[in-house]
Amino acid sequence: MIAPFTQPFMARALAELIVLGALAGTVGVLILLRRLAFMTDALTHTVFPGVAGGYLLAGEGGVFWGALAAGLLTAVLLTLLTRHRAVAEDTALAVLLTTFFATGVVLVSRESGYTTDLTAFLFGRILTVTGQQLTQTLAVAVVALVALVFLRRPLLARTFDPGGAEAAGHRIGLLDLAVNAIVALVVVASVRAVGTVLVIALLIVPAATARALSDRLAVIVPLAALLGATAGWAGLAVSYDASVRHGLRLASGGTVVLVLVGLHLIALVGRRLRLTRGTA
Amino acid sequence: MDTPALDLDEVGVAYGAVTALENIDGTVVPGGSVALIGPNGAGKSTLIRAILGLVPLRSGRITVLGRAPAAARREVAYVPQADTLDPEFPISAGQVVLMGRYRRIGRLRRPRPADRAAAARALDQVGLADRARDRFGTLSGGQRQRVLLARAIAAEPRLLLLDEPFNGVDAVSEQALLDAIGGLREHGAAVVIATHDLALAHLACEEVCLLNRCQYGFGPTEATLTPDRLRATYGGHALEVRGDSVIVAHS
Repeated sequence: MIAPFTQPFMARALAELIVLGALAGTVGVLILLRRLAFMTDALTHTVFPGVAGGYLLAGEGGVFWGALAAGLLTAVLLTLLTRHRAVAEDTALAVLLTTFFATGVVLVSRESGYTTDLTAFLFGRILTVTGQQLTQTLAVAVVALVALVFLRRPLLARTFDPGGAEAAGHRIGLLDLAVNAIVALVVVASVRAVGTVLVIALLIVPAATARALSDRLAVIVPLAALLGATAGWAGLAVSYDASVRHGLRLASGGTVVLVLVGLHLIALVGRRLRLTRGTA
Repeated sequence: MDTPALDLDEVGVAYGAVTALENIDGTVVPGGSVALIGPNGAGKSTLIRAILGLVPLRSGRITVLGRAPAAARREVAYVPQADTLDPEFPISAGQVVLMGRYRRIGRLRRPRPADRAAAARALDQVGLADRARDRFGTLSGGQRQRVLLARAIAAEPRLLLLDEPFNGVDAVSEQALLDAIGGLREHGAAVVIATHDLALAHLACEEVCLLNRCQYGFGPTEATLTPDRLRATYGGHALEVRGDSVIVAHS
């Protein structure tokens, strides 16, 4: 399971997936506890016009910055929408999601390689990750993790007890904006490598698996990061092995997600056994 | 004379065109206690939020420990209703109590032994010293409420605000809550309790503030809780005396 990674493109893909897996696993715990899965899903769609616009304006190099701009804009809009509750939250999200996505589709449809681009956006291209992309992912990971470390106590207080946190003087609006922005950063960093459909799995499944295995945050957070990184490595190795040795073409991103879901099912069975033993 | 812990001066709060509270007056001295009494929707929670500086006043003034509410927050602790919190949340009772020390601990530093000792002491004061490692959600409703009170105690407040702390609480926890609140008051903290339970207001507080959008009385519990005032406050709605519903009819 190590041999394939001596090739530079595989080594880059592996590094990208390990960093993303660990980062998404960590941030995913916050999404799980705040019940922000749908909002995260919305974010994965709203970065699309940024990707398309960035590509139209500046080619490959513009994709990251376009996605970043769209992601952060969504983070701000989501924070404002959920704060003022002008309309029901899920309705607002759905409108925002489709508006942004449609804008992206319109932008992309002006290009000739329309379907190829769309496919790449949906499913990512992990095997063509460049050194520059890897650097951007690392930078995003550092920013997100530093923010999480710095804000961990206010975030814990706000997530557990919003009323109490507000009374204790925590700025709920700013904390929510920070969380939305961190999730946006992770989505932006992941989108070219694993695509929008798969990034949601990276963000949700490792955290849910870790939660099934432990009741302690001090265990859940590192475990989710470890599970995300492990699934990245195992999924990539399995898909490479299948295509090179057995002539079976497996999409790397999809394989990673299937590994994640497999681990989750094992964890659920493990939890069930533990609970049964506990009550016996 | 000491600075009052809380001073309400012609306080009015409105949400848009809707008046939530008007002309609320009263003073709570250090070590004093007042029960906010009124039916659901009377504005008890709004008044608590106003004392915390979380809703703007339309009129009047609130002074907390001689300062504006937002400036005094460091010395004010708030206890929410335990049943509003997610019982699945992966956090232990001890961690919840330690939250009361976050302001002293700061953002990055590890909790000092003094912080851990204060948290342990607070949990002991509500009679749950042996449950620190239990997950919050595995405790009973009354025990969760005691953990939230312990979190407030750990913050060493000079003004404590409680929102319906006795809702769905068993007799053992009720007594533990009353004892811990009494202990805080002996150390000079003032206490404000929003409740619709008249009997518990009697047990927990020396004074009551009768509230239903405007104020129907503020003063010593015995003298203020008169049938006439209660009837005016509740307007014939049901009110609760230690779990039993009593109807106050219009005369």
